[in-house]
Amino acid sequence: MVRGRHAMDLVILAVTLLLLTFGVVMVHSASSVLSMQKFHDPYYYLKRQLLWAGLGVAAMWAMSNYDYHNLRRWAPRLAVFSFALLVVVLIPGVGVNRNGSQAWLGIGSFGVQPSELAKLALVLFLAHYLADAGERMHSFARGFLPPLLLALGAVGLIMLEPDLGQSVVIMGTTVVMLFAAGARLGHLSALGGLGLAGFAALVAEDPERISRITSFLDPWSDPRGSGYQIIQSLYAIGSGGMLGLGLGNSRQKYLYLPEPQTDFIYSILSEELGFLGAATVLALFAVLVWRGFRTAIFAPDEFGALLAAGITGMIAVQMVINVGVVTGSIPATGVTLPFISYGGSSLTLMLTGVGILLNISKQTGAAAR
Amino acid sequence: MRVTRRIMRRRFALLLLCLVLVVALLVVRLAYLQIWRAPWLQQQAAALHRRSIPVRGVRGTIFDREGDTLVYTASAPSVIAIPAQVKDKEGTAQALAGILKMPEDRVLTLLRKRTLMVYIAPGGRRISDAQVNAIRSLNLPGIYITEEGKRAYPFGALAAQVLGITGSDNQGITGVEKEYDNVLSGQPGYIEFMANARGERMPGSGEQFVPPTDGEDIQLTIDGQIQQFVEREIERAVAEYNPDHVTAIVEDPKTGAILAMANYPSFDPAHWQDYPQQTYNRNLAIWQTFEPGSTFKIVTLSTALEENKVRLDDRFYDPGYYEVAGHRIKCWKVGGHGSQSFLNVVENSCNPGFIALGERLGKEALFSYIKKFGFGSKTGIDLPGEGNGILFRLSKVGPLELATTAFGQGVSVTPIQQVMAMGAIANGGLLMEPYVVADFRNHDTGQVTYVRQPTVVRRVVSAQTAAQVRQALESVVARGTGRNAYLPGYRVAGKTGTAQVAKNGRYEAGHYIVSFIGMAPANDPKLVAYVAIDHPRPKSGVVFGGVIAAPIVGRILGDSLHYLGVPASNTGIPRKRSWNEPAQVEVPNFVGLTIGDAQREAVESGAPLRTQVTGTGKYVVWQAPQAGSLVDESSTVRLYLGNQPPARDTLDG
Repeated sequence: MVRGRHAMDLVILAVTLLLLTFGVVMVHSASSVLSMQKFHDPYYYLKRQLLWAGLGVAAMWAMSNYDYHNLRRWAPRLAVFSFALLVVVLIPGVGVNRNGSQAWLGIGSFGVQPSELAKLALVLFLAHYLADAGERMHSFARGFLPPLLLALGAVGLIMLEPDLGQSVVIMGTTVVMLFAAGARLGHLSALGGLGLAGFAALVAEDPERISRITSFLDPWSDPRGSGYQIIQSLYAIGSGGMLGLGLGNSRQKYLYLPEPQTDFIYSILSEELGFLGAATVLALFAVLVWRGFRTAIFAPDEFGALLAAGITGMIAVQMVINVGVVTGSIPATGVTLPFISYGGSSLTLMLTGVGILLNISKQTGAAAR
Repeated sequence: MRVTRRIMRRRFALLLLCLVLVVALLVVRLAYLQIWRAPWLQQQAAALHRRSIPVRGVRGTIFDREGDTLVYTASAPSVIAIPAQVKDKEGTAQALAGILKMPEDRVLTLLRKRTLMVYIAPGGRRISDAQVNAIRSLNLPGIYITEEGKRAYPFGALAAQVLGITGSDNQGITGVEKEYDNVLSGQPGYIEFMANARGERMPGSGEQFVPPTDGEDIQLTIDGQIQQFVEREIERAVAEYNPDHVTAIVEDPKTGAILAMANYPSFDPAHWQDYPQQTYNRNLAIWQTFEPGSTFKIVTLSTALEENKVRLDDRFYDPGYYEVAGHRIKCWKVGGHGSQSFLNVVENSCNPGFIALGERLGKEALFSYIKKFGFGSKTGIDLPGEGNGILFRLSKVGPLELATTAFGQGVSVTPIQQVMAMGAIANGGLLMEPYVVADFRNHDTGQVTYVRQPTVVRRVVSAQTAAQVRQALESVVARGTGRNAYLPGYRVAGKTGTAQVAKNGRYEAGHYIVSFIGMAPANDPKLVAYVAIDHPRPKSGVVFGGVIAAPIVGRILGDSLHYLGVPASNTGIPRKRSWNEPAQVEVPNFVGLTIGDAQREAVESGAPLRTQVTGTGKYVVWQAPQAGSLVDESSTVRLYLGNQPPARDTLDG
C-alpha cells in the first residue's frame, strides 16, 4: 500500500459547507419569530449559531490537518473522559435539565451535550478496537460482545437523562461499524432481535413513548396531544408544495411548530423551500454519504477505513432518523439534523468529525485518485 | 489481513447502497407529502392559521300589509376586542374606559382574556354614535366596532305570536322570525386574518373584511288595524269572562291570506324572557287542538248538500233526542225543536237533525269530506309549530262515532283548520293554503324580490253548494243561534260552537270552549273571522257560543269591513227579533232637504223616528245615523244644519 499525502476530498468539504450554509440561513428563518417572542431579538439564535459554526469550521480545519493516526493514542482516554461526563451530567445541580431531559453541561445558554461528545468518542474508540480485531470478529465473546457492551454502557447512561434520540443514533452507528468491521451476520441479526425487544421494553416502561409510537401511525387520533408536533410538521411540509412558500415565509414557524430551529428545522425548510429545496438537502446528504464511504473504501488502513465509515454512518443515521421523524415516516425520536439544526455541541462535533474524515481522505490509496 | 479488508470494502459498498436507498425512500415520502398530499395539507394548515370573526348584517324588517313597521332592527353598535392584537393593553384600557365609562381595571381584565374575541361589556355594548366616533378616531389596534342590532317593536305586543321572537344572536326562535330566519338574517360577513398559534396577526398578512349582506324585509298579510280590532276584542273578552285561553283569526277567504291572528295569553316580544315558555313558544291558533262542537256542523251540512242527501226545505221532526245503536243522543234543547225544515235544523243547531244527515251520508262519504276540508292534516301555514288534529280511524267508526262526528264531537281540530274550511265555503268551494307572508323586499332598495301567490289546495264542494251553505249560515245569524253576530248593514253568515273539554277521557264539568265562526258579506265574503274562548267564566248567564263568541265575531267583522271600505247593504235576511227587542226601521235620507221638509219626511216616512237639530241654517247638511242604516223604532236622528245645501257628491255619504 502506498502511503502519501494529497489534496483532501473537496466534494466532502463543499457539501458540508453547503449544508452548513443551508443550516445557518434556516436557523435564522425558523427561529426569528420564536426568538423575537422569547428574547425580543430576532437574531438571538442566528448569532449563537454563527459562533458555533465558526468554532466548528475551525475544529474541522484543525482536524483535517491533524494526522488521524495520532488519534488512536487518544481514543481510550477520550472514551473514558466522555463516559465520565455522561455520569457527571446526571448529578443534580451539575447537569442542566431542558425539556425534561438532563442532558446539558454548561453555563447559561452555552450548554454542551456530553452525549454528543460520547457519540464521536465511541466512533473513535470502536474504530481503534475493531481495526485490530481481524479474525476475532468471528468470535462472539471476544470480538463482537466487547464493543457492543461499551455502546450499551453509553446508551444506558444516556437513557438515564433520558435521551432516546441520541441512544438510537449511538446504537445505529455501532451496528453500522460492527457490520463494516465484518461481524458475523448471525450475530448482527441476533442483536437486531434483541434490540427490537429492548426497544419494546423501553417503550413499555414509559407511557409517553407508547403515545409517540401510536401518534406516528395516526397523528390525527390525538391532534392536540401526542400527535400535535407531527401534524404541525406535516402541515409545514405539505404547505411547501413543489417550490415552497419562499425563504422566510413559513407560517408554521409562528409558534405552531415548537422549537422549529432544532428537531423540526427540516419541516420549516421544506415549507419555505418546497420539495425542490428539501430534496436538494437530501441529495447533498447522499453525496456526503457516498464520498464518506468512498473514503472508507480507499483508506490506507483498517483504522482509517472504520473511522471514516463510523463518522459517515453516524451522520447518515442521525439524518435519516431526523428526516424520518419530521416526515412522519418513523416514530418520533428527538434528534437534530446534522449541520442544519441549531445546537452548539452537536454542530461543532459533527464538523470535527468531518475534519477527521477530510484528513483520512488526504491519505487514500492510489486507486482513489 | 487482506481478507478482512476485502470483506470490509464489500460491506462499505453494501452500507452505501443501503443508505442511498433509504435516502431515496425519504425523497419518495417527501414527494408524497409535498406533491400528492400538498393540497389537503395546505388546506388544513390554512384553516388552522385563519381566524375569522363573524359580522352580521342587519336583520330584515317585518311590515304589516299596509307597510307599517311591526319589527325592525334598531342600531346597536358594540365594541369588541381581539386581545392578542392589543399590544398596549394598559393604554388601550385607559382610553376605552374613559369613552365607555367603565372601570379601567374591568376593561383591562377583558383585554387580557385568552380568547379570540371579547365584547367590552357592559359599557361597550349598544353605544352611542358619539362614542363610536370617539373610538374610531383613536384607531386602536385590535379594537373593532361591530353592529349587533336589536329588534324593536313600534306596536309593542301587537301580533307577537305571529311575529315570534329572536334570541341573543338575533336568530329567529318562533313565529315568522323562525320560519323565515334565513330570509331575514341575510348572509353574515366576517373579518378574517392569519394568526400565529397565540391568535396574534401574522406580520405582513393583512386582514380581510367581507361585508355582510343585509337580510330581506318581509311584508306580512297581517293588517295591523284588523289585528288591533282582534286584540281589542280579545282583551275585552278576557276582562269579561276570565277565560284560560282565547284564540282569534281573520282570513281573506279568496286568497287564504291571514289578516289577523291573536291569542290570549300573549306576551311582549321585546321582553319575552319574562313570560312562561308556553306563552311565547305556542301559537294556539295553529297549535291547539280541541273538539270544535257545532261549528263542525258546517262540514256535515256542506257534505249532505253536495252529495244531494238533503234539501234545506226538507222537513225533520226533532223529539229532543235521536236514537243511535240503542243510545239516545239528546238535543241541546230540552224537549226538542219539534217539526222543522232542515234550514231550521241549521238555524237551531239541532243535533238530531245533523245525526240524521250523518246517517244519510254514511261514514265513508262524511269522513272523506272531512279530510277534503283539510281536517286531520296540517294546513301548511308558513308558521312553525302547527298541529295536526285527530280524526277517528275510519275502521273504528261505528254508528255512534258517526253520529257524534256529524255534530262536531269526537274529532279534534285546530282553529286554523276551521278557518280554512269556512274559507272554502266563503270563496265558492276551494280549500286554500293559509299564509302570513305576502312578499320579500330588498332591505336597502325596497324592491320586491318574491311575491307569495295564493295556493289552492283542492276543490272541496261546488260553488252552488257553497252558496247554499252561506245562505243557511246567514240565516243562522239572522234568525238562529248566531243572532248576536248580526250586523245591521252587513250580511253576516256564521255558526256557533260550544264544546265540552275532555280530560282523562271524561268531559270536564263546567269547562267549555265556546266559539263562533263567521263570514261577511254573505253573498260575496271578504272576510272569515273565528273566535274561540276556552273556559269562559261569565259573571252571569250561560256559557254558550251564541252568547259569548258570536258578538265578538260580529264586532270584529263590522269594524274590519267598515275599515276596508266594504259598502253596507240591507239586502240580506232581516234579523228576527226576539219578543223583547224593538222593531228596526231604515233611516231615510234627510241631507239636502230643508229643515221643514226633513221633519215632515221623518213623520211621513212611516218610520217612527225622532229628530234632534244641531246648529243653525236652512238646510240639513249631515245626519247621523246615515241614510239606509237600520235603527230601533223611536230612535233619534241627529240633523246638522247649514245655510247652503251640501254639494251633490257629499250627499251620497
